[in-house]
Amino acid sequence: MLKPILLVEDDVRDLELTLVALERSELANDVVVVRDGAQALDYLRRQGEFAARPAGNPAVVMLDLKLPKVDGLEVLKVVRETPELRSLPVVMLTSSHEEGDVVRSYALGVNAYVVKPVEFKAFVAAIADLGIFWAVLNEPPPGSTKAARRLG
Amino acid sequence: MNARLTDLDSCATEPIRVPGAIQPHGRMLVLDAASGVEVAHSANWADAAQRVAALAALSRRALDLPDGESPAALGQVSIGGEELDASAHRLGGHVIVEFEPATVDRGTQAPIYSLARHFLPQLQRTRSVEDLLRLGVRELKRLTGFGRCLAYRFDSEGHGQVLAEALDEGYESYAGHHFPASDIPAQARALYCLNFIRLIADADYVPVPLESLDAGLAPTAIDLSLAGLRSVSPVHLEYMRNMGTRASMSVSIVVRGQLWGLVSCHDRDTRFLSFPTRAACEHLGRLLSVQVEAAEEHAQGEQRHELRELTLHIIAQRTDLDASLLGLVNEPAPMLRLARAAGVAVVLNDVCRSYGEVPPAAEILGLAEWLRHRGDEVFQSDRLAEIWPAAADWGDVGAGVMAIAISQVHRHVILWFRTAVVQTITWAGRPYKEVRAEGRIQPRRSFESWKEELRGRSLPWTSAESAAARELRQSLIGIVLRRAEELNEVASELGRVNKELEAFSYTVSHDLRAPMRHIAGYVDLVLDTESDSLGEKSRRYLQHVKDASAYSGRLVDALLDFSRMGRTAIKPGAVDMVALCGEIARELTRFEAGRTIEWDISPALPTLHADPMLMQVAMRNLMGNAVKYSRDRAVTQVHVIPVERGGHAGLEVVDNGVGFDMRYVDKLFGVFQRLHQSDQFEGTGIGLASFRRIVERHGGEVWARGVPGEGARFGFVLPDKMEEMI
Repeated sequence: MLKPILLVEDDVRDLELTLVALERSELANDVVVVRDGAQALDYLRRQGEFAARPAGNPAVVMLDLKLPKVDGLEVLKVVRETPELRSLPVVMLTSSHEEGDVVRSYALGVNAYVVKPVEFKAFVAAIADLGIFWAVLNEPPPGSTKAARRLG
Repeated sequence: MNARLTDLDSCATEPIRVPGAIQPHGRMLVLDAASGVEVAHSANWADAAQRVAALAALSRRALDLPDGESPAALGQVSIGGEELDASAHRLGGHVIVEFEPATVDRGTQAPIYSLARHFLPQLQRTRSVEDLLRLGVRELKRLTGFGRCLAYRFDSEGHGQVLAEALDEGYESYAGHHFPASDIPAQARALYCLNFIRLIADADYVPVPLESLDAGLAPTAIDLSLAGLRSVSPVHLEYMRNMGTRASMSVSIVVRGQLWGLVSCHDRDTRFLSFPTRAACEHLGRLLSVQVEAAEEHAQGEQRHELRELTLHIIAQRTDLDASLLGLVNEPAPMLRLARAAGVAVVLNDVCRSYGEVPPAAEILGLAEWLRHRGDEVFQSDRLAEIWPAAADWGDVGAGVMAIAISQVHRHVILWFRTAVVQTITWAGRPYKEVRAEGRIQPRRSFESWKEELRGRSLPWTSAESAAARELRQSLIGIVLRRAEELNEVASELGRVNKELEAFSYTVSHDLRAPMRHIAGYVDLVLDTESDSLGEKSRRYLQHVKDASAYSGRLVDALLDFSRMGRTAIKPGAVDMVALCGEIARELTRFEAGRTIEWDISPALPTLHADPMLMQVAMRNLMGNAVKYSRDRAVTQVHVIPVERGGHAGLEVVDNGVGFDMRYVDKLFGVFQRLHQSDQFEGTGIGLASFRRIVERHGGEVWARGVPGEGARFGFVLPDKMEEMI
């Protein structure tokens, strides 16, 4: 079974557009959606409402920078500090061009930092590239299974 | 061996205050101040009975005199059929009583009254120091009958210069002559301050020793500092004989506690002056002292006032005009007048700006560094080469220097230079005494005048001038500090505004971009999924919505880039503009594949001291504009040429495009200012604003020239390095 993609996004419109983009990218992975940083951490640590979920990390986390409760940078920090989550690919998806955010994200060990393009076609292309790279092409750390892309 | 040193050393050992002897024209009794009992006497009393009689004739008043005051008259006493003037003073446990041949009591004709009548009214009308002295010597000569009276003033080194004289016929004139400091040893100077008058009635006199009645009291332990009969040093008597003088008198002029000058009287004959006459002379000396002090203070006050006005003027210019201390040299006249200098220089670290007659800049910088290490607030010398040997090579320039240090930390120094004046000093005789074979010092035998030229010296700096320099220093420091404070305030205010701006941009970048993206995204989705059911018009409308949202997205991005450019720190380095422009030209050519663009990038373009990233943004804007606004031309020609302005290097980008009307040149560099309709030439209207902001953040300057239909040229220059602004 393919590992899911964890999408952390609070804005409904961004969420819908990102899901459309993921759909158009024809990735076979499931997409798990959480709406804020606290929920994301619950999911990853299998606690709270996600205490009962089956074990295993997602293929990639697509993390919005600005999130309610616990923001994207904090989530990233916890992920990198938690031994079981440390090698999890995290992609920061954001509206911000701000240099400071980029610097801080890379300092915390983000795998990729993507400024969402304004034009939708470019956005779809970016999401698709990310999904394919991290969920399909990227060689995961030993012990996890690589997802096979379903063609057609 | 230095003859002058020997002289001073020997004179310093002369027991001038306690000679143990008196001049023979009077007699002396020394009493114990507490008991009134005689303890010593001069050896020229006829017998003990005379002394007892003299003592008995004295009023009790002699024992009640205050200590350390000059002798007071005790009236006449008759001893052995001889009328004597008695006077007494008290000093160091002794009362010293002096008896001299009496004069006829002239009542209101006494010298002291004549002084009040003649001298005082004239003194009041006299202003200048020279006139006061002239008046003084005339009056002293009239009172005493000495053949020659000279008044001289001592300079800072103790040399005396004759400023006034009154002489009888046959006496040699010493007007304008200088007497070397060594003529009056230090201890004699000190005594002149204590005792205002000293008379030597006959240089050929044979001293009369003091005899002590008390085995425990040596005659040479009796302090005669204030005694009128005090016997003087044999060296001095020899000096007088060499000068052809039989009698001499000195009256001190003491100003602000210092021996300012002397009135010196000489005669070829003996000259015995009565006690009342001497008292009048002493009084004259004190009056002269008071008036000289007042006249000097008046003159200095006037000079101070004038210099103060000048200082205020200079300071007012500072606050009105440009901030830099270097600007002091821009209006040099008041600066030069302030110090009566021939040249003035301002040193700010490694920068030296000067005006007038000054040494080479490198030398001034060296001197400023030396001064900084000395640490004086105000430095002055009228013979710099003696302490700063490098100045010896400057010729006459900068023989005298006055300098003020504005900062203790940095090399911020203002210097005034005076050129050398050759001063010819007419010494009254060669100012060096000789040491005789037997080792005894010999006073100068020649009083012929001897001229000496002093080179490598400027006019001396006056105390008013150094006070003015000190005040200027205080004011300038005040200005510098205030400016630093203001800058500090502006900086912290800027910091606050910058933080706000940063927070604002952050919000804009997140919150303004997101809705743009949503509009673009949903419109795209509609166009994608509902394309078939949409009418032609609706599809066109939606296309416009999509384009508009994409454009506003680009606008927001451009605006954020622009604001970031103003906020990020500049990291300067050497930027090779030939390489940079060549690279941008290739890139732009690739984008405009269908066009013919002729680039002419001069190989002489400079290497600039700038932030490479920002310089690339600036050049891409300039060269991109040149290409964009010449797209209508069959062949686009863009020249990038080197430019130099005001000593700064830069370049100009020249195109053959649509150009612009110079009437609107001021609008070109504004944010969102566009001179062309947007459907004609696309763009966000931020390119040139970015260009200007980048150049100005480097401390440079931009310009633009255009002719409609013919083309435009945009250029800039940058400072060589970030110049320090103070």
